[in-house]
Amino acid sequence: MLSKLNKFISSVKLAVFLFITIAVLAMIGTFINQGDTIKQYKTIFSPTVYHVLYWLGFLNIYDSWYFIAFSLLLMVNLIAASINMFPRTIKAVFGPYPSFKEVTENKNNKAIYEAIETKKRPEEIKEIIGKKFGALLDQKINENKDETKLYYSKNSIFRFSPYIAHISAIIIIIGVLLNFKYGFRSYTNIKVGGKTNVTYLLKNNKPIKLPFTIRLDRYRTTYYPDGIPKAYISTVSIIQEHIRILTKNIEVNHPLTYKGITIYQASYGHYKPDKYGILVVNLLHINSFKKIIYASTGKFYNSKINNIKFMLTRVLRKGKMSYFPYIIKLNNKKILNFRIIRVKNQNFPLIIARYKNIGFIMTPQLKTYYYSGVEITKNTYVSVVWIGCIILVISLFFSFFFNHEETWISFTGINDAKKTKIEIISIPKKKFNSFYKKFDKKISKIKKFLS
Amino acid sequence: MISPNISVLDGSLYFTVSLLFVFASFIGYFIFLFTGSKTISKISFGILIAGFIVQTAAFVIRWIYAYKIGIDTPPLVDLYDSLVFFAYVIEIGYIILRIFYDFDALGFIITFIASSALAFATFYPLATSAIEPTIPALQSYWLLYHIMTLFVAYGAFAASFGLGILYLIKNGRENGNKKRGNRFLSLLPESAVIEESIYKVISVGLVFLTAGIVIGAAWADSAWGGYWSWDPKETWSLITWMTYILFIHARFTKGWGGKKMAWIAVIGFAVVIFCYLGVDLIIPGLHSYATPGSSPIL
Repeated sequence: MLSKLNKFISSVKLAVFLFITIAVLAMIGTFINQGDTIKQYKTIFSPTVYHVLYWLGFLNIYDSWYFIAFSLLLMVNLIAASINMFPRTIKAVFGPYPSFKEVTENKNNKAIYEAIETKKRPEEIKEIIGKKFGALLDQKINENKDETKLYYSKNSIFRFSPYIAHISAIIIIIGVLLNFKYGFRSYTNIKVGGKTNVTYLLKNNKPIKLPFTIRLDRYRTTYYPDGIPKAYISTVSIIQEHIRILTKNIEVNHPLTYKGITIYQASYGHYKPDKYGILVVNLLHINSFKKIIYASTGKFYNSKINNIKFMLTRVLRKGKMSYFPYIIKLNNKKILNFRIIRVKNQNFPLIIARYKNIGFIMTPQLKTYYYSGVEITKNTYVSVVWIGCIILVISLFFSFFFNHEETWISFTGINDAKKTKIEIISIPKKKFNSFYKKFDKKISKIKKFLS
Repeated sequence: MISPNISVLDGSLYFTVSLLFVFASFIGYFIFLFTGSKTISKISFGILIAGFIVQTAAFVIRWIYAYKIGIDTPPLVDLYDSLVFFAYVIEIGYIILRIFYDFDALGFIITFIASSALAFATFYPLATSAIEPTIPALQSYWLLYHIMTLFVAYGAFAASFGLGILYLIKNGRENGNKKRGNRFLSLLPESAVIEESIYKVISVGLVFLTAGIVIGAAWADSAWGGYWSWDPKETWSLITWMTYILFIHARFTKGWGGKKMAWIAVIGFAVVIFCYLGVDLIIPGLHSYATPGSSPIL
């Protein structure tokens, strides 16, 4: 029972099934947008389709339980298969090696056999022949029968490289899981001049509190001469307990890491402009008092002249669009309409209102608040992933290009020790045409030497 | 349309010239298939090398030009450049393979793929040869390594596809009509040789594909805040990787060989092409260079 289960778990069939299943699921994930909002989905799919897809987990397939389950099963399969194969590999590398007799009896379809007869004695030819087949790892001399059996092995150590490749894959998966458990990826927008210590997880928008505060000092986009953006640069400061720790420019490809938390430039934008510049002028002292006050509608602002407060209000007139739909409300409820004055040769109409000695002039300036979208991530254990990756690449190289070759050679005295019969069997780990060609070349060289 | 002056300056004219060379070489190899004349195959190989040299010069010119107009990343990022580079890499692959093996018959498939890529780059309206400034996300020293490794992989897979086709032709004909003495078949190397080279070429491709994905992940980690985002291109590169990994496992644990392997090489390349072009043309994502005008991600 247990052996059957082991056989199933470690089988290549299961591996193939899992590989194909995971690939197909991954494919589905590329054709259906992942992690969009319900609103976005409802514009693409009918409600029924949406519910079916949601129920199947296709809208967040890479986090779905079955995707993770299949991946874990693949990992178990990988480990089980490696463990099952390992004793055989150990034996192939460290011995005891199979004897010449065993090899001749076990018909291996990769084996190549060659027999040569010569008048030379085994001692003379051993050295010359041996050099061609790698390291001599085992020899048995039977003096009575005048027999010598030799075992050569080449590149045996590279038998381990597939195991190392599999182990590295497991290291990568472990790194990914640790990172998944202890790290986070989150997103937040910071207003220019503003600060925040709260960030929202990418996967479910849950807020997290950061151990420090980030302040966005400045944001700017630089452009190439033809208007294509060249760089998005945010100047951010890290503040901890009201003390500014550091200030740095972050750019795409140039994040800032502080205390294991990395801040990336991810996007930028501005909030809908809601403040209008109003030039407030003291008409009695035009030169001495001018000030632009940015006012949003519905709020009182102090004009700083005789302590008169004003409010900008939107008017909606029934039936027709007003040319300029704003009025000013003063603190004593007096309402001033802006008057529109067109100035010759000037595109922008001058819009003014007057109250006593205060002039209000609407300016074309809008106060917009820019923000910078930053991604804030904690990538713990990511080095484990990188170590696994590096080992994987190297071990793949060695697994593919180093072929273990085993050679058994037997010298037998025939015709009352006047002649020696040389028998050579070579078995490669990987069946390559070039291996057999090389073998033929070696044999013809040996024959040349012997004749 | 692009004015001829610009195309001289930015090197794209020379790519068009190299297309003519590669296409001429393709015709040469095609004639070779029917005549079996060694001279023709040698001439075709010579023409291919000439085209390759022109293309190398074009790259140098283009790179210098890009540098001069103030772009400090190599011109490899848009669809045009990537197709041209793809053609370049498979030409190198074939030239190297040709030095080690007697693979004249492969020439016709390789030159076909290379000239298709070059023609696609030259005539496909969305693949413009104008060098555009690099968007911020691509301004990184990782770019060069990421693209180089992956294109070596793509080139190797293209070669394995060609070899797979040759194997299937050879195998099919050998099993089918044995009586008809076939000149074409005699031009092909032994099927055992083709089979081994399929394996070796795929191995090279797989090592580079793995390295390329890892480099991409490292880059993503420094640019986007995560080494893996399940972006369509990332996912498809993983699917490609899994396809070939499956190939390797089937080869060594199940002893799959011959025809099955040749089919996997062919199918694998279809996956590669989808990953390379299909993903960009069909699914928008973080890697979409093929859809100009789509809003760039920072």
